[in-house]
Amino acid sequence: MKDIAERKTEVCSVRVGDTWYGVPIAHVLEILGKPATQPVPLAPYFVGGLVHYRGEVLTAISLRRVLGMEAAPGPEDVLVFESSDGPFGMFVDSVGEVMQVSAAEYEPNPATLDSRRQSLFGGAWKLKERLLVTLEPERLHPMRLAAQAAAA
Amino acid sequence: MDDLTREFLLESQEGLDRMERCLTDLENRPGDAELLAEIFRAVHTIKGTTGFLGFSRLESLSHAGENLLGLLRDGKLEANAEIISGLLTLMDRLRGVLRSIDQTGAEGKNAPEDAAMIARLEALQRSGVAAVGVVAEPEAAISEPELAAAMAVPVRVRKPRQPGKRRGAGAGKRVAPLLVDTAWSKAGEAGLHRESAPAKAWDEPETQRSASADAGAVPVRPAKSEVTAKAEPADAAPAAATGGGTADSTLRVDVDLLNRMMNLVGELVLTRNQILQATSADAGFALLGRRLDMVTADLRESVMKARMQPVSHVFSRFPRLVRDLALGLGKQVKLELEGEDTELDKSLLEAIRDPLTHAIRNCIDHGIEMPEVRVANGKPAEGTVRLRAYHEGSHVMVEVHDDGAGMNLSRIREKALERGLVTMARAEQMSERDILQLIFLPGFSTAAAVTSVSGRGVGMDVVRTNVEKIGGKVEVDSRAGEGTALRLRIPLTLAIIPALIVHSRGQNFAVPQGALTELVHLNEDEIGSRIEWIEGAALYRLRGHLLPLIFLDRLLQQPPRDAEMTCDIAILNAEGRRFGLVVDGLADPEEIVVKPLAAVLREIGYYAGATILGNGEMALILNPSAIAQNAGVRLTGAAEDTLDAEPNAGLDDYLLVEADGRRAALPLSTVVRIERIPRSRIEMAGSRPVLRFEGALLPLDDAAACLADGDPEAQTTVVVCRDGDRQIGMTVSQVLDVTGGRHLEEAGTGAMAAGLTLLHEKVTSIVSLAGIAALETDFCGEAGR
Repeated sequence: MKDIAERKTEVCSVRVGDTWYGVPIAHVLEILGKPATQPVPLAPYFVGGLVHYRGEVLTAISLRRVLGMEAAPGPEDVLVFESSDGPFGMFVDSVGEVMQVSAAEYEPNPATLDSRRQSLFGGAWKLKERLLVTLEPERLHPMRLAAQAAAA
Repeated sequence: MDDLTREFLLESQEGLDRMERCLTDLENRPGDAELLAEIFRAVHTIKGTTGFLGFSRLESLSHAGENLLGLLRDGKLEANAEIISGLLTLMDRLRGVLRSIDQTGAEGKNAPEDAAMIARLEALQRSGVAAVGVVAEPEAAISEPELAAAMAVPVRVRKPRQPGKRRGAGAGKRVAPLLVDTAWSKAGEAGLHRESAPAKAWDEPETQRSASADAGAVPVRPAKSEVTAKAEPADAAPAAATGGGTADSTLRVDVDLLNRMMNLVGELVLTRNQILQATSADAGFALLGRRLDMVTADLRESVMKARMQPVSHVFSRFPRLVRDLALGLGKQVKLELEGEDTELDKSLLEAIRDPLTHAIRNCIDHGIEMPEVRVANGKPAEGTVRLRAYHEGSHVMVEVHDDGAGMNLSRIREKALERGLVTMARAEQMSERDILQLIFLPGFSTAAAVTSVSGRGVGMDVVRTNVEKIGGKVEVDSRAGEGTALRLRIPLTLAIIPALIVHSRGQNFAVPQGALTELVHLNEDEIGSRIEWIEGAALYRLRGHLLPLIFLDRLLQQPPRDAEMTCDIAILNAEGRRFGLVVDGLADPEEIVVKPLAAVLREIGYYAGATILGNGEMALILNPSAIAQNAGVRLTGAAEDTLDAEPNAGLDDYLLVEADGRRAALPLSTVVRIERIPRSRIEMAGSRPVLRFEGALLPLDDAAACLADGDPEAQTTVVVCRDGDRQIGMTVSQVLDVTGGRHLEEAGTGAMAAGLTLLHEKVTSIVSLAGIAALETDFCGEAGR
């Protein structure tokens, strides 16, 4: 029991609005600092645009749009995630640092969270200074978001 | 799937491809030992490896084939149409099993059909052996019992058992069948003594397999096949060794890896551009930059080359197709292949496979006549379909030509009328060329009856759509009684397409050049008057015809534009749908690398992909035909529009240009392209201005007198024209318009005024291209001196 509680996970902290999120770095291929962005007219609501990633044109979702927030005031950073059908990106306001969190600090989503966020967030790590919301890239895959949007 | 199986699948596919080629050749050269050996090898390799990998279905099938092939190879059987058909069917079956292994990892089951196949192959063997047996008798230095053993099943059953008496000795068991077999083949050829055979057999490394095949004896299998099968390893070994040379210097590479390399090279090109820009001020860096430039260009070319494959990869399947179709229709058709080593990007090869198959089907079904009809018309009974690939500029041309009846123009016209593809009034005005173009309309088919081959209403429009999808073009040429030629013009590579970059609301979009026919610029004050409206539908009058307009910003629900700003109309012809796409502005044409979009964005439908431009910005690539279809641009209307644009009373289209203050007209049909180049690119060869253009030397007519003007960096416009077989360039100050010109008649005589036309109600002189002097033929020699 003690082993599990002490097991450390490395997460990358990212900020959107006033909230900090933690993404396990095992899923993160690369962080692009304020890349040039190409918007895609008529794209589904959650798509932030296209970014140039290693000679490929990468589709990036926007965490702000996914959460139904207003557009970011300035240029955003992009996390590149790997997935079974190729990489995709995610726009966030800024990328913080890589830190270690332990399973002991973890707690599942509160029941009072709205259903959209329930389906997106994995829970939260209780850090000393703040909460770090758990984000799992597979829940943010464009195809999954598209399926959810179609169901709604 | 493990590596071994994958390797096996690839190898077997290649083997079967080779086999297919050889089998159809075999029909013309039934006794060709090399062909037979090649076919044998393909089947034998499959059999050998399958036993090892445990694919029993493949093994029993290939074994049966091997038996038959062994007889053929050893000259005991003469290949005939029936045998070749049998072997082709076997090949299809083997392919089917391979496919199943590829997809599911297992062979799948189909015992009854397999058994039927094996029985068929055996029947073929028996029929042949009986016949050959009679012929072979006099020369045979083989003892009577052996011949009997080979031919008669009961005797044969005993034969393999003989070694069985010594079953304890494994070696002995293996040798016996080999011994017999070697005797068989050698005796026939050179009358070798049987005594020499055992020694040979001992050296044979392949004995293990023969033995196992023997031990697992399937009762139906005739003995002599067992026998011949075993003769193979000894004979095949040297042949395999000679073939090993190429295998050593080549390597199989995953296409995904090549795609990745291509991407990385693209990335490198972009980085290079940025470095060159950032360091242009520093002289030391400039030299390094140039080197980087050269290396990058070289690298890009090498990677592109690695993706190239000879068209023979696609051509090789056609002999079989032609054979089967011709047999099915009772026609005699010979297929000639030319330029098989012409290379094309792998993805393009895949893309032309279906259109070509379709075109060849058409040739045989509609083109080539029945033998008796051909003879009656004074043609050889056997029709010829020629498939030819060759380079032309930056394109590869693939031509399908038949010497059949040619297209029946009046029937095409009738059909088009019957199907409502064209109106009566128009049909009567149409030229021969226009009528031929009708075959590309969807829903057009002239086949009198629906055959298994064609006539189902899908046809040439699909060929055209597929070829246009890869940025190619289709041309057709037909002469009644002499035949039809269909030419596919394919770009060298799919990964890179020429496109025009346009702007809409500050965003870049790429429009494939293939769909672009012309561009119209409207100033602020013209927009109100030149764009007309019918109940919310915008229209533009293009040379007297109404062209539907689509506003890109509205289509994409971008923020609305200011009322008063200039705009450009890109006039597009997307698979027969003509419309004008209204954009905010135009940038330069650019060769773009097409990048695929994620599925969620592909679903939008208007985008064909995305690309990264030379300046590092991104652009979405528009899909003109999807836009046209979604906006409801109708095809028939568009097709009619194109069709009757030309024969209109004495109107020819001209490119109206201004050069050195004068207006001049160039016949539009001769204009190849219009280039903006810095003046410094024009070079002098003696007193002649010349331009290096697409790797060739273009003589220039400096009509705009731009060379007199000092600034070498200033941009100048060059109109490249075709004059017969040669191309020439003409510098102009400005391109004004494309417009229809009316012929002028001399007052009184009514004679056509040469060299003059009426454009925009002004008499304009037509540039005489022939008047531009050719380069002297020994010109290069002179320049060298």
